[in-house]
Amino acid sequence: MKALTANRLADGEVVFWSHGRWVERFGQAELFEDDAPAGEAEAKAKSQPTVVVEPYLIEVAPIEDGVAPVAYRERLRALGPTNTPDHGKQAEGGHDVELIAKAAGAARSGGRVNLIKR
Amino acid sequence: MYRYDALDKEFLADRVSEFRHQVTRRLAGEITEDQFKPLRLMNGLYLQLHAYMLRIAIPYGTLNPAQLRKLAEVARTYDKGYGHFTTRTNLQFHWIKLRDAPDILASLAEVDLHAIQTSGNCIRNTTADPYAGATAEELDDPRVWAEVIRQWSTLHPEFSFLPRKFKIAVTASVKDRTAARTHDIGLALRRGRDGALGFEVMVGGGLGRSPHIGSTIREHLPAGRLLSYLQAILRVYNRHGRRDNKFKARVKILVASLGAEEFGRQVEAEWAQIDPASADLPDTELARIRGFFAPAGFEVLPAVSAKLEAAKAADPALARFLRNNVHPHKASGYAIVDIALKTPGETPGDATAEQMETVADLAERYSQGEARVTHEQNLVLPHVRLDDLPAVHEALKAVGLASANANLISDIIACPGLDYCALANARAIPIAQHIAQRFADQDVAEDIGELKIKISGCINACGHHHVGHIGILGVDKKGEEFYQLTLGGSGAEDAEVGKILGPAIHASRVTDAIDDLVAVYLRERQPGERFLDTYRRTGIAPFKEAVYAEVH
Ligand code: SF4
Repeated sequence: MKALTANRLADGEVVFWSHGRWVERFGQAELFEDDAPAGEAEAKAKSQPTVVVEPYLIEVAPIEDGVAPVAYRERLRALGPTNTPDHGKQAEGGHDVELIAKAAGAARSGGRVNLIKR
Repeated sequence: MYRYDALDKEFLADRVSEFRHQVTRRLAGEITEDQFKPLRLMNGLYLQLHAYMLRIAIPYGTLNPAQLRKLAEVARTYDKGYGHFTTRTNLQFHWIKLRDAPDILASLAEVDLHAIQTSGNCIRNTTADPYAGATAEELDDPRVWAEVIRQWSTLHPEFSFLPRKFKIAVTASVKDRTAARTHDIGLALRRGRDGALGFEVMVGGGLGRSPHIGSTIREHLPAGRLLSYLQAILRVYNRHGRRDNKFKARVKILVASLGAEEFGRQVEAEWAQIDPASADLPDTELARIRGFFAPAGFEVLPAVSAKLEAAKAADPALARFLRNNVHPHKASGYAIVDIALKTPGETPGDATAEQMETVADLAERYSQGEARVTHEQNLVLPHVRLDDLPAVHEALKAVGLASANANLISDIIACPGLDYCALANARAIPIAQHIAQRFADQDVAEDIGELKIKISGCINACGHHHVGHIGILGVDKKGEEFYQLTLGGSGAEDAEVGKILGPAIHASRVTDAIDDLVAVYLRERQPGERFLDTYRRTGIAPFKEAVYAEVH
C-alpha cells in the first residue's frame, strides 16, 4: 500500500494527497492498493510545482486499527519532532496521530518508548 | 564588536530585495524548484522534514544584545518561539515558511545579521574562541583575525564555488575551544622565537564520512601574511580538489592523498607567486578592524569579591554554578560565565525567545554588551564582574538557564537528527535527553568530571561525534534506529578521532551503555584522570568488554 506526500511550497508543511487535493493529516491521505493509480497521482502532483515541492510515494502498512507509514522517518513527518510533542501535527492530537504514535512505539521494540518525551 | 558601515548595510538591503523578488517568482511559477533551490540555499534556507529551516550566520559566535533580541523577535513572530544554536555557532530556525523568509531576512538585516554563506561550497562562518578578549591565556584577540577572514571571504569571487564547503577556525590560546584541528583550516596564534606574532597553520581537518585531524603545514606564518597564505591554500585546493566526487571533495581528502608535506610544499610554491602588496591586509586596515575589538575598559577590582563569597556560602546552587560554569577572566574581579543550553531533558542548543531576551539583558547590564555562542551549543557572557555573579545566576535560574553542568556528562552536543533533518538516519536529540536525565544528579555528574558526549544523526557528523570522548552516531538498521559508539575522540588541543567500540547497538541500549562506560572509568581511574585520560591509559578493551559482555 502507498500514499503520496510532499512539502507544501509556500510554508513547507507536510501534506498528503487525497483524491486530487492536498491534506495536512496522514489520516486523511488517500491510500493506493495498486501501483498504477499511485503513479498517476504522483504524475499529477508533479504537475503542481507552485503548490508542492518534490512529491514522492511512501510505503504504508496496516497496523492495529489502521495504517501507518512504514519508514520511521515518514512517521516522524506525519507526527512532528519527538523532542517537542507540542509542535507539528501531533500537537493537534486525534485518532490518526495516536495510531501512528502507537505504531512508532510498537516498531521500536526493546523498550525504546522511554526515549520519547511525552 | 565589528559594526557594518553604510556600504555593508546597503548591500544587505539589496540582497534581501533580490531574494524577495526570487521568492515571488518561485511562488508564481516563473522559476522552477531546480532553479530556485540554489538561490534559497545561498540565503540559508533549507527545506527539512517539517518545514523550511533558516540558518543564520553568527560571525565567530559574537552577538550583541540588539541581535539577540532580534533573534528572539523572529523566533516569536515567525517560528515557534525558539531557535537552535549549532556546532558551527550559528542559529537555526526550524519552522520557517518560505513566504515569510524575505521579511525575516529584512528584519535581521536591521541588526547586521544575515544568512549569506551559511550553505554552499564557499567559505563558511569562521569559528573563534568564545572566550576571546576575556581569557588571560590568549596572545591576541582571535576575533580581529576572524573578522579579517570574514571580510576577505565574504562574496570572494574566486572562492564562491569551491569543490566543497570550507570552514576556518582561529584560536589564540593553548587550550583550544574552537576544535581548530577539525576545520579545513585551523589557525592558532603563536609567538615565534623572536617574539613576533604568527599563526600555526593546520590544514585538512574535518569530520563527516572520512574524519581527519588537521596537519600543521606551517609552524609560524607571520600574522600580517595571513590572507595571502589563505589564498594560496585555497588556490591549491581549488585547482586539485575532487569536484568529480562529493565524498572526496573536501580539502582533507586532498591533504591526505598528497600528504601534508607535499600539500604544504605546493602551498608555499603558490604563495611565492602572490604579491603581498595586493593580497595581504594593509596595516592601517588591520588597525581599523582591531579598533572594533579594543579591549573593554575593565574596572580595577579586587581579585576576591566579598559579596560573591557571602552569596556562595549561603547558596549551594550558586556555589555549584561557580565551580562548573564560571572561569577566570584576564581582568581581576571579573569572570567568564558559561550558560549551558543543556538542562537535562531539554534539547541541546535550543533557546526560547524569552531565554534569548534574558541573555540579551544580562549581556547589556553585566557583560559589556557581549554574548558569545560556543561550538558546544552553549552561550557565554564573557565579562561579568564577580560582584554581579549572584544576580546573573538568579536571572538565569528564573528562565531555566542556570544548569551548572558545563563540560560535564550532561553537557552533550547533539545535532537536530531525524527529528528535523532531512539527511538523518536516526534521532540525536532524544538520545541526548535520555543520557542527560540519567546523569541529572549533579553530584554524580561532578564526580565523573569532564566528559564530552557528542551525538550525530548521520555520518555528516554535525554533532562532532568523531571527536567526542564518547561519540554516538545514529545509523539505520532495517528501518530501526541503531547507534555506533566511538571512544577517545577529542576536538581540543589534543585532537584525536575516536575509535569505534564495536557493532552498533539498539537505541534502547545506548544510555545503559554510557552507564557501563562510565562505570569502567570510575573503577579504573587514577587520581586526577579525566575519562579521556583513563581511556588513553587503559585502551579500549575494558570499555568494550563492559558494553558488549551484556549483549552476548
Ligand atoms: S549529522 Fe546528519 S542528521 Fe545531524 S544535522 Fe548533520 S546532516 Fe543532519
